Amino acid sequence: MIASLLAQAGDWTSPSIDWAALAPEIVLAIGVNIILLLDLQLAETKKWAIATITGFVLLGSFVAVVVLAVTGDGARSLFDGRYVVDDYALILKALFLLAAYVVVLLSQTELEEGGYYQGEFYVLLVCSVLGMVMMASARDLVSIFVALELLSIPAYMMAAWNKRNRKSNEAGIKYYLLGVFASAVLLYGMSLLFGATGSTKLTDIGAALLDGDLIGLDVVAVVFVVCGFAFKISAVPFHQWAPDTYEGAPTPVTAFFSVATKAAGFVALMSVVFIAFPGADGVYQPLIWVMAALTMTFGNVLALRQTNIVRMLAYSSVSQGGFILMPLAFAGEPGVGPAALNAVIVYLIAYAFMNLGAFAVVIAVTRKTRSGEISSFGGLFSYAPGLAVAMTIFFASLAGIPPLAGWFAKFNAFKAVLDAGTTAAYVLAAIAAVNTVIAAAYYMRVLRVVWMDEAPDGDTSPVKSPAPVVAALAITVLGTIVLGVLPNLIARAGAIDALTGAFAG
Amino acid sequence: MLAVNFLLLGAALFCIGVYGVIARRNAVMVLMSIELILNAVSLNFVAFALMSGAIDGQVFALYVIAVAAAEVGVGLAMVLMIYRNRKSIALDELSEMKG
Amino acid sequence: MLATETGPIAFPILSALIFIPIIGAVIVALLPKSRPEYPKLVALMASVATAAMSIWLMASFETSEAGFQFVSKHTWIEAWGISWHLGVDGISLFLVVLTGILFPLAILAVDPHHDEKPYLAWLLMLQAGVMGSFLSLDLFVFFVFFEIVLVPMYFLIAGWGYEKRVYAATKFFLYTMFGSAFMLVGLIATVAIASRDIGYTTFDLVVIAEQANFAASTGRWLFFAFAIAFAVKVPIFPLHTWLPDAHTQAPTAGSVVLAGVMLKLGTYGLLRFGVYLFPEASYWSRNLWLTLAVIGIIYGAIAATMQTDLKRLVAYSSVAHLGFIVLGIFAFTTQSMSGSTIQMVNHGVSTGALFLFVGWIYERRKTRQISDLRGLQKVAPIFAAAFMLVMLSSVGVPGLNGFVGEFLILTGSFLTARWWTVVAALGVILAAVYLLWAYQRVFHGEPDEDNKKFPELKIKEGLVLLPFLGLIVFMGIYPKPVLDRVQPSIDALIGRVEDHTDYVQPKPTIELVDHSQEPANPEEEGDG
Repeated sequence: MIASLLAQAGDWTSPSIDWAALAPEIVLAIGVNIILLLDLQLAETKKWAIATITGFVLLGSFVAVVVLAVTGDGARSLFDGRYVVDDYALILKALFLLAAYVVVLLSQTELEEGGYYQGEFYVLLVCSVLGMVMMASARDLVSIFVALELLSIPAYMMAAWNKRNRKSNEAGIKYYLLGVFASAVLLYGMSLLFGATGSTKLTDIGAALLDGDLIGLDVVAVVFVVCGFAFKISAVPFHQWAPDTYEGAPTPVTAFFSVATKAAGFVALMSVVFIAFPGADGVYQPLIWVMAALTMTFGNVLALRQTNIVRMLAYSSVSQGGFILMPLAFAGEPGVGPAALNAVIVYLIAYAFMNLGAFAVVIAVTRKTRSGEISSFGGLFSYAPGLAVAMTIFFASLAGIPPLAGWFAKFNAFKAVLDAGTTAAYVLAAIAAVNTVIAAAYYMRVLRVVWMDEAPDGDTSPVKSPAPVVAALAITVLGTIVLGVLPNLIARAGAIDALTGAFAG
Repeated sequence: MLAVNFLLLGAALFCIGVYGVIARRNAVMVLMSIELILNAVSLNFVAFALMSGAIDGQVFALYVIAVAAAEVGVGLAMVLMIYRNRKSIALDELSEMKG
Repeated sequence: MLATETGPIAFPILSALIFIPIIGAVIVALLPKSRPEYPKLVALMASVATAAMSIWLMASFETSEAGFQFVSKHTWIEAWGISWHLGVDGISLFLVVLTGILFPLAILAVDPHHDEKPYLAWLLMLQAGVMGSFLSLDLFVFFVFFEIVLVPMYFLIAGWGYEKRVYAATKFFLYTMFGSAFMLVGLIATVAIASRDIGYTTFDLVVIAEQANFAASTGRWLFFAFAIAFAVKVPIFPLHTWLPDAHTQAPTAGSVVLAGVMLKLGTYGLLRFGVYLFPEASYWSRNLWLTLAVIGIIYGAIAATMQTDLKRLVAYSSVAHLGFIVLGIFAFTTQSMSGSTIQMVNHGVSTGALFLFVGWIYERRKTRQISDLRGLQKVAPIFAAAFMLVMLSSVGVPGLNGFVGEFLILTGSFLTARWWTVVAALGVILAAVYLLWAYQRVFHGEPDEDNKKFPELKIKEGLVLLPFLGLIVFMGIYPKPVLDRVQPSIDALIGRVEDHTDYVQPKPTIELVDHSQEPANPEEEGDG
C-alpha cells in the first residue's frame, strides 16, 4: 500500500497552477485574514471600519472576476480539469459576491446597533462566500464537498449569531443538525458514486455512467447525491429546517441564506447534473420532477397562512426553489439541456435581486416597527411611500408580474420546460401555472396591507433608513427593473458552451 | 471479497446513523449518529479505493475526517450555547417557532 | 433604431401611444406633494395627447387594407426572436381609439375621494397596458401588457373603491391571474411547437400564424390554454362571477374603464389569438362557445332584472352584452364578426356612460339602491334625458349604436347558428325589460324628500357626456366609416378559417346583406 503510494509519488511533479484564474479566491482568502487580524487591533468604537473593509474585499474579488471575464478567452482548466474557471463559473461568482455585498450593507447597522461581534461576523461571511466562489468552479466531488462545507459551517454559526436569543439558538441548531445530516447523506452518495465509477472527477463520472447500462449502485448513488443537495436548496420534503431557521436567524443572515447559500446548492446540483449525470437522466429526472412539483406547491400553500412576514418569505423562498428546480427535471431531454441551464442561472440572478430587495425592505421597516407581523406593515404607503413602492416592485417581481426580473425568470423557466415537449413537461408546467396564482395571492395580500390598511398603532412618523440600507435597496431595485426590461443582459448567461464539460455527449 | 464486507459494514453503520438521527432526541446523541454516518462514508471510500486502486478515495476519506472534526466543533459549541440558555439539550423541546 | 420597417410615416405612433401614458404616469408620481394642482393637469395632458394621436391614427388608417398597418418592429430579445412588434388592423383600430378617448373622459368626469396622485398614476399605467395589449403583435409583448393591466386595476379597485373593495379586487386579480397562468403555458408551448415548423424560435404572432402548422389535437389544447384566459376576461359564463363584484366596488373611473376597454381584451384576444392563431380549433369548438355565450346572454339579463343595486344591474347587463359579442365571433360570418367588433366599441361607449351616470347618482345621493331613488326626472330633466338616450343605446333601439351591432350579430349568426340566435334574440327583449324597468323606478314617479334636492347635470358633466352621446348617435345613424375599416380584416380572418377547415361561409341573400349593412343608412345600397 505505502509502497504503491511511494511508487506513484516518484513520478509526481508539482502541477503548474494558473494563479491568475484563482485571483478571486485568493483575494477573499487574504481578505479573511486581514479582517480577522484587524478585528483584534481595532478599538470597539472603530469596529464599523470592518464592514467597509469587507466591502472592499468583496469588491476586489469582484474586480478580479470581471477582469477574468473580460480578458479570458474560453475556459481555464486547473488541476487536471477538477477546478474550472469558465463563463458559467464567473457569472455565478459575480452573483455570489454581489449578493454578499448587499448582505454586508444590510448587516452593517443591524450589527452596530445590536452590538454583536462585528469582526467575527464578517470573517465568517467572507469565508462562506469563499466557499460559494469555489463551488462555482468545483468540478470534482472532493472540491464540491470542501466548498460545500466551507460555505455551510460559517453559515451555521451565523444563524445562531444572536447568542442570547432562544429563537436564534433554535435556528442555528436546526440548521446545523439538518445541514450536517444532509452533508453526511450526500457524502455517502458520493462514496457510492466513487465506488461505481472509480473516480471523483465529474467528467470521468459522466463518461463512466454513460458507458453501459446503469446498475443498482449507480442508481442509489445518484439518488443519495441529489437528495443531499435537496437539503441545501430546501426542496420539499427536505425543507423543514428552512422556515424555522429563516425566522430565528438575524434578518440579514436570513437574506443571505435564502439567496446565496441556496444558489450555491443549486450551482453544485447543476454541475453534478449536467457534467456527471447525463447518463443517469432516467434516475434524476423523475426525482427532480417530483421534488419540484412538491416544493412549489407545499411552499406556496404553507406561505398562504403565515402572518409573520419573514416566515412567509421563508416559505415563498421554498416555493421559488421549486420553480428554479423545475427546468432541471428535463435537463437530460434532447436539446433541452442548454435551455434548462440558462433558465436556472437566470432565475438565480433574478431571484437574488428581488429576494434580497424584499428582505432589505423588511429590515428597513422593522427598524421602525419592531415587529415581523404582516399587519405591522399597514399604512406603509402613507408614511414611507418610497419603501412601499420598492416593496411593491419586489413582491410584484416575486409574483411574476411583468416587466420585472421575476417575470422574465419565470417565463424562461416555463420555456425551458415546455421545450421538452413531453407530457410530463406539460403537466409540470400546468402545476407551476396554478402555483403562480397561489403565490400571487399571498404576495398581493402583503401589498394590500402596505397600500390599503391604516398603520396599526397610528404611528405615521417617517422611516429613517440608514445609508447602507438605502444603497442595498437602490442596487436591488435597479437590478429587478433592469433585468425585467432588458432581459437581453442575462438571456445569454449560461449560453450553450458556458458550462465546460457539459453537453459533450 | 474482503472489500464487500467493508461495504456491508459501511451500509450498516449508515443505517444505524440515520436511525439515530431520526429517533434520538438528545442533541449530543444526534451528533454522534451523524459521526457514525461520516465514518461509514470514510470506510466506503477507503474500501472502494482498495477495490479500484485509485488513490482518490483515501484522500477523500482524509478530507471527510478533517471536515467532520470542524463540524463537530461547531456543533458542540452550539449545543453548549443552547444548554446555557435553556438548561436542556432535548431537541423536541425546541419549539419557539411553529407553522 | 427608430426607423419603422413599413408604414407611411417614420414617426413611431403606436409606440408613442403606449409610452406617452407611461411617461405621464411617471411624471405624476414624481410631482411633489406640495403642488396638488399639477397631477390632474399632467394626467389630462398625457391622456388627451394619447387620445388625439389615436384619432389621428384612425384618420390616416388605410380603409380597404386588411393587414396590419403602422407596423413598428424592433428586436428586443434576440436569442428568442422576441421583438417589439406593434401594428393595428381593422379589428384593433377602434378599440385603440376607444381606449384613447375613454381615459381622458374618465379622468375628467370623476375626482377620486382621496390621494389623487397615485390614482392618476395608476390610471395612466392602466391606459398604457391596455393600449399595449391591443397593439402588440408579438406573443411575449402581448402577454407582458396583458399582465401589466392587472396591477393598476387591482390597486384602483382596492384603493379607491367602495365598501367591499379589497375582496372584489383580490377576486378580480386571482381570477384573471388564474386564466393568464394557463395562457402563459399555452403561449410558450405554442412558440416551442411552432419553432419546429418554422425552424427558429420566434414569438412573432404573424410569423407563427402564417408558417406554423399545428396538428389538430395540439392546436386544440393550445387554443384552450389561451381561451381560458380570455374567457375569464370577457367574462364568459360560468367564469363571470368576479365581474359584478369588481364593477360594483370599483371607483367610477375604474368601472368605466373596466367595462369600456378591459373586458374587450377578452373578446379581442379571442379574435386575435384564438381565431387568428388557431382557426381550426376555434371552429371545431364553436358550439361550446355559442352555447356558453347564449347562456351568458340569458343569465346576465335575468340576473340584471333581479338586482336592487343600480351599479350591479349595469354590471350584469355587461355579462349579457358580452355574450352577444362572443356569439358573433363564433358564428364565423362577415356580418356577425363585424357586428361583434363594432359592438365591442358600442358597449364600451354606452356601458361606460351608464357607469358614469351611476357614479354621478352615487356622488349626489350616496346610494346606488334603486329603491332609494325615485322621481329624478322631475328634479333633473336633462340628467334624465341624457340617461335615457344612453340606456336606449344599451337596449339596442334603432337609430342608436347598440342596434347596429346587435342587429349585425343576430342576422349574421342566424345563417350559421340558427337556434342559438333565436334564443339570443330573447336576450334583446329582456334587455329592454330590465333597463326600462330600472329607468321607470329611478326616474319616474314623485320624488320624495331625499330626492327633491337631486342636483341637475353640471356643465362639466355635460361636456364629458357630449363625446359619448355624439358617438352613440353617430354610430347609430352612419356606421359605414367604421364598417369599411373593420370588414376587410374580418374577411381576411374568415378566409383563414375557411383555409384551415372545411367551413364555407354561407352566402347571404342580397336582401339580407342590404338589411344588415344599413339599418339606418340608405346611401350604402349596392355595396353588398
